[in-house]
Amino acid sequence: VRWLGLYLRSRRVPVAVTAAAVVAVLMWTLWSVNSDTRDVAPQTVVLTVLLMVVALTATFSGPDDALESTAAIAWLPRRLAHVLAGFALIALLLLVTLTTGARFGPAWMVLRDTAGLLGLTALGAAVFGTARSWFLPLGWTLAAVLFPQFEPLAARVLTWQMQEPASTAAAVTAILLAVGGLGAYLVRGPLPMAPAEAAQQH
Amino acid sequence: VSRILRLELRRSAALGAALILTVVGVLALYFAEGIGFAEGWMQLAMGQRIYLALLWPLALAAGAWQGTRERRSRVTELFASAPRPNAERVLPTIGAMAIAVIGAYLLVGLAGGLWIVGTARYLPVAFFAVTAVGVLALLAGVWLGLAVGRALPWLATAPALAIAGLGLLLALPGMTRPHGWLALVFSPIYEMNMPDAYTTVPGRVSLSQALWLGALAITAVMLFASSGWRLRVAALLPVVVGAGLAIAVMPQQNRQVIASVDKSAQELVCAEEDPRICVSRVHQGLFSEFTPAAQQALTAMAKLPDGPTRVHEDTTTYVPDVYAPWDTGVALVTVEVGTDAHLEEPDQLAAKMVQGAFASLPDCDKSAAVADQFAAAYWLIGTEPKPAEIFDPDERARTVDLWHQLNGLPEAEALAKVSALRADANACRVEGGLFGSAS
Repeated sequence: VRWLGLYLRSRRVPVAVTAAAVVAVLMWTLWSVNSDTRDVAPQTVVLTVLLMVVALTATFSGPDDALESTAAIAWLPRRLAHVLAGFALIALLLLVTLTTGARFGPAWMVLRDTAGLLGLTALGAAVFGTARSWFLPLGWTLAAVLFPQFEPLAARVLTWQMQEPASTAAAVTAILLAVGGLGAYLVRGPLPMAPAEAAQQH
Repeated sequence: VSRILRLELRRSAALGAALILTVVGVLALYFAEGIGFAEGWMQLAMGQRIYLALLWPLALAAGAWQGTRERRSRVTELFASAPRPNAERVLPTIGAMAIAVIGAYLLVGLAGGLWIVGTARYLPVAFFAVTAVGVLALLAGVWLGLAVGRALPWLATAPALAIAGLGLLLALPGMTRPHGWLALVFSPIYEMNMPDAYTTVPGRVSLSQALWLGALAITAVMLFASSGWRLRVAALLPVVVGAGLAIAVMPQQNRQVIASVDKSAQELVCAEEDPRICVSRVHQGLFSEFTPAAQQALTAMAKLPDGPTRVHEDTTTYVPDVYAPWDTGVALVTVEVGTDAHLEEPDQLAAKMVQGAFASLPDCDKSAAVADQFAAAYWLIGTEPKPAEIFDPDERARTVDLWHQLNGLPEAEALAKVSALRADANACRVEGGLFGSAS
């Protein structure tokens, strides 16, 4: 338990969780105030998921990843628990809204996009370092939100974030990104950055 | 200074940001919604503005990423200890990021320009105004990003700012309804989508947008360069004054860009080698494709007694609702430019021009059916209608059928039927079409 407390603190988890919750409450309030419809527009749902993933991104690295990786600790299960807990947090916060007056849904779309974007971010953390891990999720999702395309298959894969929940192409893409990103992050961990850059984690 | 600026260009996020913005901008221009800018320079400038929806948030993120650099590199205290004014140190960063976004925006424009340079001729002043406002939008965006990144030096700042920026752009039209002109002041993308051939952006609209974006840029620079609360408070002044001025300058009526018509672009220009053939000024680069078809059509129409002796582009606009002048001596044809910047369906063009001889006044409810018009047109030209050239499958079958009936008749009898159709159509009293079968 003492280890867990130290770990959460070193990853600045309390701040990140608070930020994610604030995002959810803020978007829920904005929609409730500004719209008469109960179902939140898909663009808003996807951007909310992205914002919450961004809020959790900083927790993928500690103050000194190079130092951490020298510790004789089984990182793999801990990283797995970390990413899954992040996924559960976002999913839970958004799925709770399904019982309220502003529904962030459909449920499968929220789960799919959360998994895919979290996986993409984890992949970025493992390959480019946590500080740059949001580049791809951000650029890709903004483009998909603005210009979703539904034909042909390649377009459904390229704008998977915005597809209908029934879309198999989007589901497969999201699952591949989730599994690939999770795998890369579990095995490699965050790319250790130059010590001078490590102060980014804030 | 230039040495430091060059150094800053290399070691800051400027080059990376320019590369990303250029690639994203070019991909969006060509692939996001198909090529919508093939008609001319004005359409390219407005098309580029629409994709600021993507580039503006990315510029915000690039600026914020750069703005958090000092904190990321843990040199804030070190730099603060240097006995030099803060403004002197931030100037190269401001310059480098400005060069990056200006270069990226112009490169995207260049990439689009290469596609249309062969056929686009008409280059109005508004093109430069619209492009300048686009550049100014990116400039304000990237500098605002710098200021926000410096104030909130966290990892999540840059992506969150980008998402907020996109959210703002998407929400502005809804927030300002029913005062659409207010959205036009603050949103560089508003009403820029799907410009038609004669669309323009009125000068006062561009001026108002430039005032707002310029003021926002000045505020952002002041915030980024500030080292005390005095300058930060003073930074509010430009943005407030700019917003007030911009609102004052903007004409207070909705749908200004959609309803604007560039009279000069719409004005007819006649071919030098054949003054019977005229297109609007915006399409004058297409004469080499338009003229042969028009000459073929004029030859065909010469068979008609008292037939049209000129072929003009149909310069009708729907917003506002203004029709091209009515003249039975002129065959009007709509000029449609394909995504390849050339005339659409060139094989069908002559028939479409001859079809103009069988037109009626716009408010007529007894005009000739499309199948009758096309059958008559193809009979005059003397070729069999190719089914692929007629869009509607029902009309296609009927056209071919009617053409065969006409072709089976003796020449004089067929010409009489075709002439009668023209007379009836022009006078708005078509009852049964070519062969009396009501359509």
